[in-house]
Amino acid sequence: MKVRIFVVGMGAVTPAGAGVPALLEALLSGGRHIRPLSLFPANSKGALPVGELPADVWADVVQRVEDGGIPRTHALALAAALEAVAGGPPPDAVVLGGTTGGMGLTEVLLKEGVSDLERYRLHGTGTVAEYVAFRLGCTGPALTVSTACSSGAVAVKLGMELIRSGRAHRVLVGGADCLCRLTYYGFSMLQLIDPDGTRPLDRNRNGMSVAEGAGMLLLEGAPCGEPVPDTALAEVLGAGLSCDAYHPSAPHPEGAGALSAMKRALAEAGVAPGDVSYVNLHGTGTRDNDAAEAKALVSLFGPGLPPVSSTKGGVGHSLAAAGAVEAVISVLALRHGVVPGNVGLTEPDPAFGLVPAGASFPAELSAVLSNSFGFGGNNAAVLFGPTERNGEDWERRTAGADARAAGAGASGQPSFEMGRLRVLAVACISGAGHTTETLSALAEGRSAAGVLPEETVTRDLPPRALRRMKRLPRLTLALADAVLKAAAHPVDGIYLGTGWGPLSETWEFLDKLFGSNLEFSSPTDFVGSVHNAVAGQVAIWHKATGPNITATGGDTSFEQALLAAQLTLTNGDTVACVLGADEAHEKLSPLLDESVATGLAEGTVLSDGGAGLVVALGQGGPGIGLRLLAPVADGDSDVERLVNAAGGAERVREFFGAILAGIPAARRTQGKSLLDRFLARTQFEGAVVDYRLQTGELASASAIASAWAVREVSAPGSSLAKGRGILLLGLGETLSVVEVLP
Amino acid sequence: MENLEHELKVKIIETLDLSDLKPEDIDNEARLVGGDFGIDSIDVLELVIMVEQGYGVTIDSKEVGEKVFASVNALAEHIRANRAS
Repeated sequence: MKVRIFVVGMGAVTPAGAGVPALLEALLSGGRHIRPLSLFPANSKGALPVGELPADVWADVVQRVEDGGIPRTHALALAAALEAVAGGPPPDAVVLGGTTGGMGLTEVLLKEGVSDLERYRLHGTGTVAEYVAFRLGCTGPALTVSTACSSGAVAVKLGMELIRSGRAHRVLVGGADCLCRLTYYGFSMLQLIDPDGTRPLDRNRNGMSVAEGAGMLLLEGAPCGEPVPDTALAEVLGAGLSCDAYHPSAPHPEGAGALSAMKRALAEAGVAPGDVSYVNLHGTGTRDNDAAEAKALVSLFGPGLPPVSSTKGGVGHSLAAAGAVEAVISVLALRHGVVPGNVGLTEPDPAFGLVPAGASFPAELSAVLSNSFGFGGNNAAVLFGPTERNGEDWERRTAGADARAAGAGASGQPSFEMGRLRVLAVACISGAGHTTETLSALAEGRSAAGVLPEETVTRDLPPRALRRMKRLPRLTLALADAVLKAAAHPVDGIYLGTGWGPLSETWEFLDKLFGSNLEFSSPTDFVGSVHNAVAGQVAIWHKATGPNITATGGDTSFEQALLAAQLTLTNGDTVACVLGADEAHEKLSPLLDESVATGLAEGTVLSDGGAGLVVALGQGGPGIGLRLLAPVADGDSDVERLVNAAGGAERVREFFGAILAGIPAARRTQGKSLLDRFLARTQFEGAVVDYRLQTGELASASAIASAWAVREVSAPGSSLAKGRGILLLGLGETLSVVEVLP
Repeated sequence: MENLEHELKVKIIETLDLSDLKPEDIDNEARLVGGDFGIDSIDVLELVIMVEQGYGVTIDSKEVGEKVFASVNALAEHIRANRAS
């Protein structure tokens, strides 16, 4: 079934105000909402201009969310989400972009040496989406995309694909980030903050204005041929993802990745460049971004370039929120027939060969393209069209959805529609060693817990190339290197799930910053601390220029990455690498990960590692597929959801030789009880392994278990699989069902 | 006068974790950025912080960075000319 995707609700919080009307007013008037930092102390360089919410706007946000006990980013996200949903029924899923999560609070707690674990519970990047989903009453998946400054736009893409694949009908997508010391001082150390306030595309531009905010869009699917929903504001015509695979922080100088993302968005939509009537630029105001983006635009549009502008001179660059805020702006531009002005522009850079719209002007717009690019070379472009657009070419536009249907499983049941991914190779690292040692330990019932020495982790990697990397990128590069060597196939897409991201880089950056009284810290550590820096490195090493998505959602981060791969891997000829990895950090892991703290208190050792799978579309085994991702409800409904997702009790008994259960230490009692009830309900009699007792406590334990399951299922004489499949259950705060079948 | 140059080499190796290099491997006139050492734009910013922290000399990497970090000699020269004595 072909499905069109519509925007049926929007919400925004920006320095211009809480609510979409305030943002529209700012666009029409060309207001500049950039002012010196006051939210936290500046250093001796003075308070640089940022896009900070004025006190009255923040008060408005707090009033809207009716919860004073949450970190700033959570409040921004919820305020925009409530506006987008507008009192309607809860969405089927929530997909949010985020780079900092609860960092605005965590960095203060760390500075003050607070050791009360409860205070860190909303640190995780994924807690923003989970909190928003909880407040909205959403019982479906809450996914978190952490691809730096393109996160909000990548979230739009994943939301579209959730609807197209039949997994959801209405999805809330967006992004949120608050101003915090980590990002403000990080960009300051990179000399990327313009002391005069950002001037995107200007000849004298000298950097960005870091900002805070949130943007949300409620997406709804409507089958082709059926009427457009009454509430539709715009149609999402297509979205394209790409990766520069060039440098951790600098864009490809010719804008190759940006060009590729725009081309993919247009191709998916079946829209020619000449039919685009406005481009909302990424336009950060840095020397390099604007130059590269201009090259990509000139290359794509040539002399037929439509009006273009960056709106970051008005409301700043809200990082993970920016792509979503600008998606809202693109829809506003369409609906109100206005090309927003490029606020902050005095003298267009003559080197660009293009002149952005100076002031806002009225224009009838047909298709609007919104660009978002991020560190790690993560690019996204989303194309919006008016609702009344002539429907004659949506046959072409939904060609992508068709390709996915063809690659799906044969079963007719809705939850099977996604099908499985064929696994070409696996690799893993644990305290026991690399793949062979880890899988032997697991199979023999021995412990694989612990922290593998650095030199063993990186034994096959060139030392010089690792000099700027700490624990998580080293673990992940070693995994990617091993699994891609085993698959012996070029890779297009990289999908990484990480519960906590690069903890060593984050710790070092904050430690040096606070240790120098806010004067100095390492630019390298800041670039490395961004969650998607790791997947960006993998892409550079393996020249992977396709989608590059980092998902962060605590104990089900790997499952989220797997889902992202299932949703966006559309070309049968390409292969992708799906990774899950977490590092053990002596100080941060026990503070942030409740299960690590619980495990340590019970006498287990700090553990880290992860796994990588090379996957492709199509039939043939072994295959892996995610069948459920949902918040736990702590009731009998949980058992039923698990059983239904696995295809019913009979199917569980018939299809699976073993169950691998992931029970995080912090939820051992509830998880164990849930497992017992699942086994009683299905009368499953095969082997059941409580695998965290072997892997140790790490958010990516399920990645290791998945690699193990694939290996067992493909081994003819496996005493675990017994010629059948293996079912993986995630029984923590988020329930998950992953199946591996021969 | 040679002391500053040597000191800078030690600090460059330490700051950028070029642990397979020894100070004497870096020629005073050798091209630092984009040369054989694999030093790129992020490393330059790392060196900017090192110079500011160690010598109290502020460098705007966009305006003068390329010139200042051309070689160890150029960097030493810039520090001598700008540091408060």
